[in-house]
Amino acid sequence: MRTRHNDVVAEYLSEVDQRLAGLPVLQRRELLADLRAHVESERSERNLGSEGELIEVLERLGSPEVVAAAAHEEAEAHRISPPLVGGFPPAPRQRRGWPLVAAVGAALVVLFCLFGMFFAVRGGESAPMPEQAPAYPAPAEEVRPVPGR
Amino acid sequence: MAHLSTSLRRGTLEFCVLAMVEHEDRYGTEIVRRFGEEPNLAASEGTIYPLLSRLRRSGWLDSKWAESPTGPPRRYYSLTGSGRSALEHFRTEWVSFRQTVDRLVGTGETA
Repeated sequence: MRTRHNDVVAEYLSEVDQRLAGLPVLQRRELLADLRAHVESERSERNLGSEGELIEVLERLGSPEVVAAAAHEEAEAHRISPPLVGGFPPAPRQRRGWPLVAAVGAALVVLFCLFGMFFAVRGGESAPMPEQAPAYPAPAEEVRPVPGR
Repeated sequence: MAHLSTSLRRGTLEFCVLAMVEHEDRYGTEIVRRFGEEPNLAASEGTIYPLLSRLRRSGWLDSKWAESPTGPPRRYYSLTGSGRSALEHFRTEWVSFRQTVDRLVGTGETA
């Protein structure tokens, strides 16, 4: 009888496992171990005897499709944004970093354009002095965003 | 209706899980049973385990296996420091979120 119960559970677990393809192997093993432990706890703590009771436990767990779909969904959620919503130290700090990166990037682009303009304007002259470039040919508004150069 | 509760559950259920282990460690089946008692949260019990796994991988939960007096070894989950601050943050966010929705949808006490 015990063997027969195990058959039902083993079959269920293998059906879940078949649908976990694509997940990291450790996550697959973890979920199967969790499900197995769940069934075992239910069986021993609630004194389940019959196969019918065991099937009921499996039914409450959900169909293999539903459980596997949840596993894929959670793995995806973790991939997209490891800690889901903001609300803990790391994420806001990361987000606050982005404007700085963007500002530095923009400053570099402006700087690059200024040099381009400088050489275009001074194209005809000989021996240009790049260090003094922004001071004369470029419009004042475009010089300002370049910090400390 | 099923779709509505699924989308409402997403994003909030995980904080219910965090709150369940806020004051004492609990094992997986215990957490799952507790959710089974809440008709509004009713989900297939097996879907809680992938959620627990993600929360552990996010560093909000920690887990360790321990022997059980009555059955197989149990996997106990505990709240980590970052899990605790995530839960605290959610609590303040949730209150203002709930108030806004109540106001807009007309479900507030004064509405």
